[in-house]
Amino acid sequence: MARYLYSSRIQFIFLLSMGILLLIPLFGLEGYRLRLLALVFMWVALAGCWNLMSGYTGYIDFGPVAYFGIGSYCTALLMIRGNLPFLLSLFLSGGVCAGFAFIIGLVTLRLQGAYFAIATFAVAEALKQIILEGDRLAGVEFFGGSHGLTLPPAPSELFFYYLLLFFMGMIIALTYLLSHTKFGYGLRAVREAGSAAELSGVPTLRVKTQAYMLSSSLIGCIGGVEAYWLTYIIPDDVFHIMRTIQMVIMTLLGGMGTVLGPVIGGSFLTLIAEYLGVKFVYDYLILVGGVIILVIILLPRGVVGEIKRRRGRSRWFF
Amino acid sequence: MVLLECRGVTKLFGALAAVQDFSFLLHSGEILGLIGPNGSGKTTLFNVIAGLYTPDQGKVFFRGKSTLGLPAHAICRLGIAKTSQIMQPFTDMTVWENVLVAALYGGNLPMARAMEKADEVLQFVGLGSLRDDPAGKIAVPFRRRLELGRALATGAEVLLLDEVLAGLSSVEIEEALQLLREMRRQGKTLILVEHVMRAVMGVSDRISVIHHGEKIAEGNPREVAGNPLVIEAYLGKRYA
Amino acid sequence: MLLFFQSLVNGLLLGGIYAACSAGFSLASGVMGVVNLSHGDFVMLGAFITYWLFVLLGMDPFLTLPFTLVILYGLGYLLQRLAINRLVGAPPIMSYLLTFGFHLVIANMALRAWTADYRSVNPSYSGLTWNWSGIVLPVSRLATFFVAMGVILGLYYLLYRTEIGRAVRATAQDREMARLTGVRIFKIYTFTFALAASITGLAGSLISNTFVIYPQMGLPFTITAFCVVVLGGMGYIPGTLLGGVVLGIVESMATTYLTAGISLTLTFFLLLLMLILRPGGILGKGAIE
Repeated sequence: MARYLYSSRIQFIFLLSMGILLLIPLFGLEGYRLRLLALVFMWVALAGCWNLMSGYTGYIDFGPVAYFGIGSYCTALLMIRGNLPFLLSLFLSGGVCAGFAFIIGLVTLRLQGAYFAIATFAVAEALKQIILEGDRLAGVEFFGGSHGLTLPPAPSELFFYYLLLFFMGMIIALTYLLSHTKFGYGLRAVREAGSAAELSGVPTLRVKTQAYMLSSSLIGCIGGVEAYWLTYIIPDDVFHIMRTIQMVIMTLLGGMGTVLGPVIGGSFLTLIAEYLGVKFVYDYLILVGGVIILVIILLPRGVVGEIKRRRGRSRWFF
Repeated sequence: MVLLECRGVTKLFGALAAVQDFSFLLHSGEILGLIGPNGSGKTTLFNVIAGLYTPDQGKVFFRGKSTLGLPAHAICRLGIAKTSQIMQPFTDMTVWENVLVAALYGGNLPMARAMEKADEVLQFVGLGSLRDDPAGKIAVPFRRRLELGRALATGAEVLLLDEVLAGLSSVEIEEALQLLREMRRQGKTLILVEHVMRAVMGVSDRISVIHHGEKIAEGNPREVAGNPLVIEAYLGKRYA
Repeated sequence: MLLFFQSLVNGLLLGGIYAACSAGFSLASGVMGVVNLSHGDFVMLGAFITYWLFVLLGMDPFLTLPFTLVILYGLGYLLQRLAINRLVGAPPIMSYLLTFGFHLVIANMALRAWTADYRSVNPSYSGLTWNWSGIVLPVSRLATFFVAMGVILGLYYLLYRTEIGRAVRATAQDREMARLTGVRIFKIYTFTFALAASITGLAGSLISNTFVIYPQMGLPFTITAFCVVVLGGMGYIPGTLLGGVVLGIVESMATTYLTAGISLTLTFFLLLLMLILRPGGILGKGAIE
């Protein structure tokens, strides 16, 4: 690894922040606020995963919620029907998602960018329908259909706080660390100029597939975490297109293809959603729509991207 | 030794044959010039050799083995690199990073070695001072050198250079030709697609002429320049 | 056997409607490369305009059509002029996201204003049916079908037989060349999108007496339009007819012989299948951007 290309100052800031977040609960953070923070971690992590694929390859995935749903259901089923412990189920779910991503990617990643977006969206919706109708059509009691599944009782809120903090930290670190590895350079090359990348020897399809699998398996894991956290899942919730929208808009707002983008976009929008969403559901959606429109027209590179552009540099740690 | 061979390559776009039954041999260490009027199929031929297009008929052989069906990145790794006429730098990355990608993937070098190679290549093409500039912001002549740099960094033996001299001043052309000769001295084999007649005639060992997708002449520069078919097809600058 | 033919005819009528709803989408995507994810919301708006005029003023649905045309033209004009035109030359993803933003705003403002209640337009003749040797043909659906045909033919005429239509097609094929021959690109784009919006709104008005109306009906229609257009070939207007009919018949058959709730899933599967196997459409005439 190109050690000297990484800034030690950035690493220090990261570790410091993580340390602070680790210690906060000991100073009396609990209940609602603890949950809210954990929620922020979850969304930053999700946005970060989506960013890893779509932000860095430029190949926009409109169906990440598919893996969230697969992860949720996989974890739930392994725990309920397989009687496996949570962490093992989570780990296996990640693997299952990677497998699905490989198969789906095999077919969809060959398509042109615009078609890939629609195809992934279609896959997500189709999966929802399958889970909803699957039991009825096959005559079994497996997925629970529209009634959903109930998981075993969960441990304390603190458990999820730390688990989601772990995921968030890992994804941010991963994104940063990848920047100066061969894989990271390959990703960016694919985004910038696909055919030029091929001509420079980058196996674009393989790189896209790897990014897709990585992103999807992590999204699936987080889906599994949420399933356990909420104890109850239904298809309409875990496969809901709103999750895709959130991931997209958070990354877009923060800045696609940057490390901090998902952090900024994720935290900001989650907090706004909490404030508005509880009481004014439609208002939140209108706001989201408005934000999307404004960002596309005025700030296409997102907050972080614009800052980078003005400073004239393209350092990754931003 | 024959390094590269095109045998009866035909590429169709709909009903139009951009390249028609084109064959030629490329020997190790030579500089082959490929000339022809605009739209004659030169870039298409390059794209076929580099693997961006699949020929409808015919094959390309590298070191005796057919490259048919191989994706572009694999062909690059084998040892054939191409520059693009429409320059496509990785705009959000620095000049150095652009070349690094080529060294990492095309050259299949470990990171430390690839970084060194990127430095070497940048020095060689004269972009050392621009190394940390965003590739999208550098001036046009420098972009050509970046294209060249990326191709070189892949470590490929055969370089397909598509109009690398376009838009350069006389002085710059002379510098570029020096580079090309140095590359040959270092063991590279080149095919040049060019419109700058004086330059390509002066530096090439052999010339192939393509017109409407077909080869109409081949030989040393002087033979080709005097060929009435070529003169007629070209209606362009004559080699003085 | 009769069931089969009934199903077939239902599918055909449905297909004509789908075609009318999708023509605007094909136009926008074919000419400008803009995949309008708020497309279905124009259908919704058209339907609601007809609804409110019917309920508040007692206007016959077919008479509301000119209103819809004008209002939706205006909306399309504004959206294109103020926003979408800025995306010319940008990667397609941007127009996806922008139009999705439109969708969120339009659909949810409608939801807020009119609540999620289902509504329908029931003029005095809505129950009439015509019995053709055992096959039941609802009169309003039949009329809608013919008007839809008229709309598509009109669009075809506009594009292929008029001066402005020629300019639109030229711009679709080669923007730079069109610009060089004096075509005002941005004006053409604005016109095209506004036209697409108005036709889509018109289709929405037409279907108001066939389908249930509610603010969130937009998204399924966008997906349907996408499927129809991919089937028929993106940008190829006559293909919309084929695509619509194919989808309509497939859906109708599935509803009859399988289960009612399956239509959206089916649309998705069909779409996915087409994208993978034959992105150029059944006839292969679509532009593969």
